[in-house]
Amino acid sequence: MKLWLLLLPGLGSIVFLMGSALYTIMIQSVGLHTELGASLDYWSDTLSDPILFRSIEYSLRTSVLGSLGAVILAYPIAMWLRKPIPGKTAIIGLLRAPMFVPGLVAAFLLINVISFHGILNESLLALGVIDKPLRITNDKFGWSVVMLQVWKNTPFALILLSSSINSIRSDVLDASADLGASAWANFSQVVFPLTIPALQAALILIFIGALGDFAFASIAGSRNVYSLSVLMHYTATAYYEWEKAAVIGLVIMVLSGLSAILITLMTRPFANRTRPVISASFLERSHEK
Amino acid sequence: MLQIKNLKKHFEDYLATDDISFEAKEGEFVTLLGPSGCGKTTLLKMIGGFHKPDSGEIWINNERVDHLRPENRSTAMCFQSYALFPHLSVSHNICFGLAQKKLAANLQKDYLAEALLQVGLVPHKDKLPSQLSGGQQQRVALARAMVMRPDVILFDEPLSNLDAKLRESVRFEIKSLQKKHKLTTVYVTHDQAEALAMSDKIIVLNAGRIEQEGSPESIYYRPKNRFVADFIGAANIHKAKVTKLEQAHHYQVSCELGDLIVESEEPPVSDYVYICWRPESAYRAQGEVENTFNIKVENLAFLGNVTDLFGRTLAMNDGESVRIQLDKLLHTQVGKSESFVIPKNAIRFLEEVDE
Amino acid sequence: MKNNNKLILIISLSFFALVNFIWLVVPFFMAVLWSLVDPSHPWSFPDIFPRVLSFNRWIEVWQTTSLPEAMFNSYSLAPAVALLTVTLAAPTAYAFGRLEFRGKQVAELITLLPMVMPTMILAIFFSSLLLDLGFSEPYFSIVVAHTVLALPYAIRIMSAGFKAVPQDVIDACADMGASRITTFRHAFLPMLKPSILASLIFCLVISIEEFNMSYVLGAPDFITVPTILYSFLGYSFVRPDAAVVSLFLVIPNVILMLVIERLLKGNYLSQSTGKA
Ligand SMILES: Nc1ncnc2c1ncn2[C@@H]1O[C@H](COP(=O)(O)OP(=O)(O)OP(=O)(O)O)[C@@H](O)[C@H]1O
Ligand SMILES: [Mg+2]
Repeated sequence: MKLWLLLLPGLGSIVFLMGSALYTIMIQSVGLHTELGASLDYWSDTLSDPILFRSIEYSLRTSVLGSLGAVILAYPIAMWLRKPIPGKTAIIGLLRAPMFVPGLVAAFLLINVISFHGILNESLLALGVIDKPLRITNDKFGWSVVMLQVWKNTPFALILLSSSINSIRSDVLDASADLGASAWANFSQVVFPLTIPALQAALILIFIGALGDFAFASIAGSRNVYSLSVLMHYTATAYYEWEKAAVIGLVIMVLSGLSAILITLMTRPFANRTRPVISASFLERSHEK
Repeated sequence: MLQIKNLKKHFEDYLATDDISFEAKEGEFVTLLGPSGCGKTTLLKMIGGFHKPDSGEIWINNERVDHLRPENRSTAMCFQSYALFPHLSVSHNICFGLAQKKLAANLQKDYLAEALLQVGLVPHKDKLPSQLSGGQQQRVALARAMVMRPDVILFDEPLSNLDAKLRESVRFEIKSLQKKHKLTTVYVTHDQAEALAMSDKIIVLNAGRIEQEGSPESIYYRPKNRFVADFIGAANIHKAKVTKLEQAHHYQVSCELGDLIVESEEPPVSDYVYICWRPESAYRAQGEVENTFNIKVENLAFLGNVTDLFGRTLAMNDGESVRIQLDKLLHTQVGKSESFVIPKNAIRFLEEVDE
Repeated sequence: MKNNNKLILIISLSFFALVNFIWLVVPFFMAVLWSLVDPSHPWSFPDIFPRVLSFNRWIEVWQTTSLPEAMFNSYSLAPAVALLTVTLAAPTAYAFGRLEFRGKQVAELITLLPMVMPTMILAIFFSSLLLDLGFSEPYFSIVVAHTVLALPYAIRIMSAGFKAVPQDVIDACADMGASRITTFRHAFLPMLKPSILASLIFCLVISIEEFNMSYVLGAPDFITVPTILYSFLGYSFVRPDAAVVSLFLVIPNVILMLVIERLLKGNYLSQSTGKA
C-alpha cells in the first residue's frame, strides 16, 4: 500500500496546521504580509520593550519553579510507590486525579482555597498562626501560578519517574545497600542517575507547557505582570499588533527550545560516571609493588 | 566467622527455609547446594540482610547481626544478575562501597588498582557495564564485593550466566582470590560439580531443610539418604535386606542385583534399608569374583572420557534400571547380557525403607 | 521488626491520606459547597458555613446564564472532533504500528509536536491565518483546531493497538482464505476496539476541556463551557456561578477518564506520551 497515503491524513493534518501557523508567525514577525515589505522593526521594537522582559522573567520564574516543584514532589512519591503497599491502585488513581481536572477548574479550586476569606486563611486564623488574612491570590511573584503548575503537573512527573524507578532492578538497589549506601546515598548515587532520562523528559515537557501557559496566569497570576502567552494574546487581540505578537510567539518558542537544550545539558553529567579514577601509570606503579 | 542458628522464613504460607543452622569458620568456603526453589537465595538474602528471618539468629564474628540493615553488616554479595550499577564505569562500580565507607581517596586508588590487576580488568577500567562481556561483568561484581574485605562474602550462583569454558576459569579465579584473602565465603549453586570442586564444606538443601552437611568427599562418598545420593552425581539405589556377618564391618545384603557383600564402618540404621553405589565404582567381571551381578545392556553412550551404560537387572518383573560408567571402551552390544562387579566397600547404607 | 515495618506503613498511609485531603478533598469540597449556596442567602464573611444549602444556584445558573448554549456548543463540537480525529488518525496509526519504513522515528516525533507547542501560539496564528483568508466560521475552525490537538494522542493510542495485534492471527486469517475485510473484522477489530474507544473518549475529553483554541477562535460569539467558566473567573467573577460551571466541566471529564482507565488498564498515559 502507498505509505504516504496512510500517513497523509494524520501526519499531514498536523504538518499542515502547524506549518501554516508557523508560516504565518514567521511572515508576520518580519512584516512580510504587509505592503511595506520585510523589516526587522517589529523585532527591535518588541525586544526593546521592558514589558516583554518583565514577562519573560515572570514566565521563566513560574515555569522553573513549577517544573522543579513537580519533579521534586514526584520523586519521593515514586520511591514510596516502589514498595508494596495495600491499596496501591487506589492510591495511584488518587494521585493521578489532578491530571483529569481541566486547568481552569484547577485555577478556580485554588483561588477558592487561598482567597481572602478562603479556607486556608480562615484555618490559619483559627489556629492562631496569623492574625489577619493573607493576600496571596494574584500575587506579584507568581506563587499561585507555581502552585497550580505543581498541582496539575505532579501526576505527569510521577508517571514518568515512577515507570523509570520501577524499571530499576531491585538487585541493583540491594547491591547498593549491601555496599553500605545509606538511604540518601542510594537515592542520590543510584536512583537519581538512573532516572535522568525520565527526569529530562518530565522537566522539559512540564517546563515548556508552563512557559506557554495562558489560563493559570490570566486567572491566578499577577495583575501587574503578564505571562508571555497573556502578553502575546493581548498584543494580538486587544491592540491588533499581530507583528509584535508574532515576535513574542517566536520568543516563547526560542525560549522553549533553549531551555530544552539547557535542561538536557545540565542534567546529563549526572547520568553517568566514567571519569577515570586512576591512570595507567598509577596501575603500572602498583603492579611493580 | 558466620553462625546461623535455627533460621526460619515464611513467604505468606510458604515455608521457604525451615530451621536452618550451620557455621562457616574463618576463611572457610561453604557451599549451599540444592535444586531450584529450595531456598538457597532466600537463605543468602537473610544473611545479607535483604530478607528478615521470621525467627532464628545470625552471628558474624560473635556479633549478632540479624537486626542490622544490609548497609550495616560486614557482608558483600555477588548477585546472580551481577547487579552492577549501569551508570558507573568499572572503576566507579568497584569503588562504590569504598566511597560509602568514606575511605581516603589514595587508599581507594590502591584498592582499586589491586582489584583491577587481580581480576584482569585493567584495559576495561573506564568502560560502562553495558560495554562489557558477561564474564567481564561477572569479574566486576567479584571485584566490587572483594575490595570491601567483608567478614563474609556471599555468592549467588555467580557462574550460572557464563558459558562452560568461562565458568571454569572464573571458578578458579574466585577460589584463588578467596584463598589469598582468607575470605569466609557462602556460595550458592545448584551445580554439584562446582560445589565439589570449590568447597571446604557443602550443605545440601532440599525444600528449605538441610539434608546433609560435610566435606565434598564425605558428601560424595557417604551420602546419608537417597536425595543426597541422587542429587550429587549419579547413583544406583536399591532396597536391600541386611544381615550382619561375623567379620567386623561386614554385611550381607540381598537386593535386585542378588546377594552382595558390603563392608561399611557405619552400621545400617535397620535391617531393611536403601543401599547405593556410584556408577563409576563398578567394573567388568573377569572370572568368578565376589559381588558379581548380571545385567542386560539397554543403552550405550560414548562420552569421550567415559562410556555410560544403562542396563536392566535380570529379575522377573522387568527388573530395575542400572547405570554404570566405565573408563574403557566396552565391546558389547545392546541386548547382550554382561557381568559386572561392585567392590564391597563401594556400597553405602542409606535411610530405612518405610513400608 | 515486623511491627516496626507495619508502623512505618501506617504512618506513611495516614500521611498520604492527610496530604490528599488537603490536595484534593478540601478544594473539591469547597467548590461543591459554594455551588450549593442558596442564591437568596449569600455566604459571606463571618459565617463558617453557608446558612442555607440548596440546588437553586444550579437551576439559576442554568436558567439565567448562557451555560445551556455553551453546553450545547461543547457537546456538539466534541463528537465531531472525536470522529474526525479517529478517522484521520487510523491510517497513520496503522503505518506506525505495523509498517517499518525509513524516517519512521522522525515522523513519529513530528506527530508529537502539537503536544509541546504552546497552544496559545497556535490559536492566535491559526486565527490570524483564518482572518487573512476571510474565513470566520467558529464551529468549523474550532473542530479543525481541536482535531490537530487531539491527533497525537489518538495516533499514539491506536498505533499501540495496531502493534498489539499478533501477526500469527492475521496470517491465520489469510491462510484460511479470508478476504481483507474479513481479516480486518476478525483479526484487527477485536484487538483494536478498546484503543479506538479510548481514543474517541480521549478526543471528547480534550475537546470538552480545551480552552485556548475555543477562546481565541470562538469568543465572544461562540462560547463553550471552558470559555464561559473563564468569563466567570475573570471579568465577571461570581464565585458560586463559577463553582457550578466548574462542576459541570469536571464531572463528565472524570467519568470519561475513568472509562478510559478501564479500557486501557492504566497504560494509556505511557502510550500517549511515548516516553514512559
Ligand atoms: N519474595 C518472595 N515472595 C514469595 N515467595 C518467594 C519469594 N522469594 C522466594 N520465594 C519462594 O521461596 C522459595 C525459595 O526461593 P529461592 O529464591 O530461595 O530459591 P533458590 O533455591 O534460590 O532457587 P534457584 O536455584 O532457582 O535460584 C521458592 O519456592 C520461591 O517461590
Ligand atoms: Mg536463587
